[in-house]
Amino acid sequence: MNLDELTRASGEWLRGTGPESDIVMCSRIRLARNLADFPFINRASRGEKTEIENHFKTAIANAGLELSYVDVLSLDNLDRQFLVERQLISRELASSEGPRGVAIGPHENTSIMVNEEDHLRIQMMLSGLALAENWERINKVDDQIEETLTYAFSPQLGYLTACPTNVGTGIRVGVMLHLPALVQTKQIDKVFRALHKINLAVRGLYGEGTQAFGDFYQISNQQTLGKSETDLIRNLTDVIPQIITYERQARQELLNQRRQHLHDQVSRAYGVLKTAHTITSEETMHLLSSVRLGINLGLIDDLDIPTVNELFIHTQPAHLQKLQGRPLEVDERNIARAAYLRSRLTNGSSGEE
Amino acid sequence: MGRAARPVRIAGSVCRNSTMMCQHCDLEASVHLTETIDGTTREVHLCPACARESGMLVSQPPPELGLEAVVQTLIINHVGELVGELARLRCTLCGMKFMEFRTGGRLGCPHDYDLFRSGLLPIVLRSHGATRHVGKRPKRRDATANQRLLFRARLRHAIDEEDYEQAAMLRDQLRRKDADQ
Repeated sequence: MNLDELTRASGEWLRGTGPESDIVMCSRIRLARNLADFPFINRASRGEKTEIENHFKTAIANAGLELSYVDVLSLDNLDRQFLVERQLISRELASSEGPRGVAIGPHENTSIMVNEEDHLRIQMMLSGLALAENWERINKVDDQIEETLTYAFSPQLGYLTACPTNVGTGIRVGVMLHLPALVQTKQIDKVFRALHKINLAVRGLYGEGTQAFGDFYQISNQQTLGKSETDLIRNLTDVIPQIITYERQARQELLNQRRQHLHDQVSRAYGVLKTAHTITSEETMHLLSSVRLGINLGLIDDLDIPTVNELFIHTQPAHLQKLQGRPLEVDERNIARAAYLRSRLTNGSSGEE
Repeated sequence: MGRAARPVRIAGSVCRNSTMMCQHCDLEASVHLTETIDGTTREVHLCPACARESGMLVSQPPPELGLEAVVQTLIINHVGELVGELARLRCTLCGMKFMEFRTGGRLGCPHDYDLFRSGLLPIVLRSHGATRHVGKRPKRRDATANQRLLFRARLRHAIDEEDYEQAAMLRDQLRRKDADQ
């Protein structure tokens, strides 16, 4: 697979469609799987990791799965970072050692990391709140791979994973929410405390340990054992609508009580993004978040959500360097980012390039 | 195997460091039975897979006995003893020691879940509030997976020792086993 082709396109999960997509950016499910007859990755030799890769490639070929395999070991750091920014691989896979890779499906909905913490990490990302459809699709992919590979499984403990925190179903079900109004009205901590109480985890855009930026938060299950996949999904689908309702109430509160202030904030954010000549990634995220809120509240009418969603990803450091076709220092990146934003935003709704 | 197993006593389901091999395959035995049949007593040592196959180890304990609470109480009552025993355990298939797992947080191979079972269950219970899988089950099972794990362990060892003749032989054997699949 040629990564430069990916640079020009964007993942289907950014298209801003699907239920509740003004607040729910995307739904993500991942399954952790290991081969029964190999040691886990931290104890596997280089040769064994290569064998695992080969077995996996055979499995996807046998299943006729339309996936392109990217050999992450042979990529340079920029390309690895590019895949991280695109949510196709984890930072751990980018920075680890030895034979490893990722198989990427059409429209970037499916990605399967090989030799990360577990032998396989199967991921499915869909736009909007679509967990049931997501489970149906990822379950099928899992079945197809299993036609060839035998997974490590115990009747009592379920799918066996390198870390016992994933044992059982091996499933992580998450939704990525855009919650700017709850942040602005300082109610977000209250929501987080409630989620922790029911054993749901809150993370930033780029997974474990990353702080939320652009007011995006991933909410996911922590428990993987003792409940079925559909029950774990139901836990989330029961809770997420409540958070969506809180966010909508907070948005309405901002509109009713501070309309001028909010409109000013949104317009200024849009103005800066359209006219700046140098801008950091952090400021870009912050301003894009306001613009995204503004579009959803009808305060901006000449820009669409898919473009804004895409800009969150395409203004990241590795993406900018890929778009420019050369490595850039921090200062150069800030200039390139501003130029890119101006070119995408000055003609109004630009959509796909 | 014609057994009129009566009474059967399971002497221990946890591997001890003094390695005892399975009587049916080359794997480490972790099920040790003393059978008394018609007044004659004999010992049987099996790995979990062979024990399950010969019906000596029930793969799924009967459900709904409040098992999790029982397990938890047992572990709390025996925690001192378990720590000492666990500290000495080392997996023959991947080389992982229980204490290495406690510091690193990751296990070395699927067999570790059996081997470190007594130490792992309380950790699993703390993480998930449960010790029993509910949900999807794979259609394929592989009773010889542990055997191949053992061959791979020997192969890694042979390569480390630069014993390439042995390594080549083990590779051939593994290939044959893969072909038998």
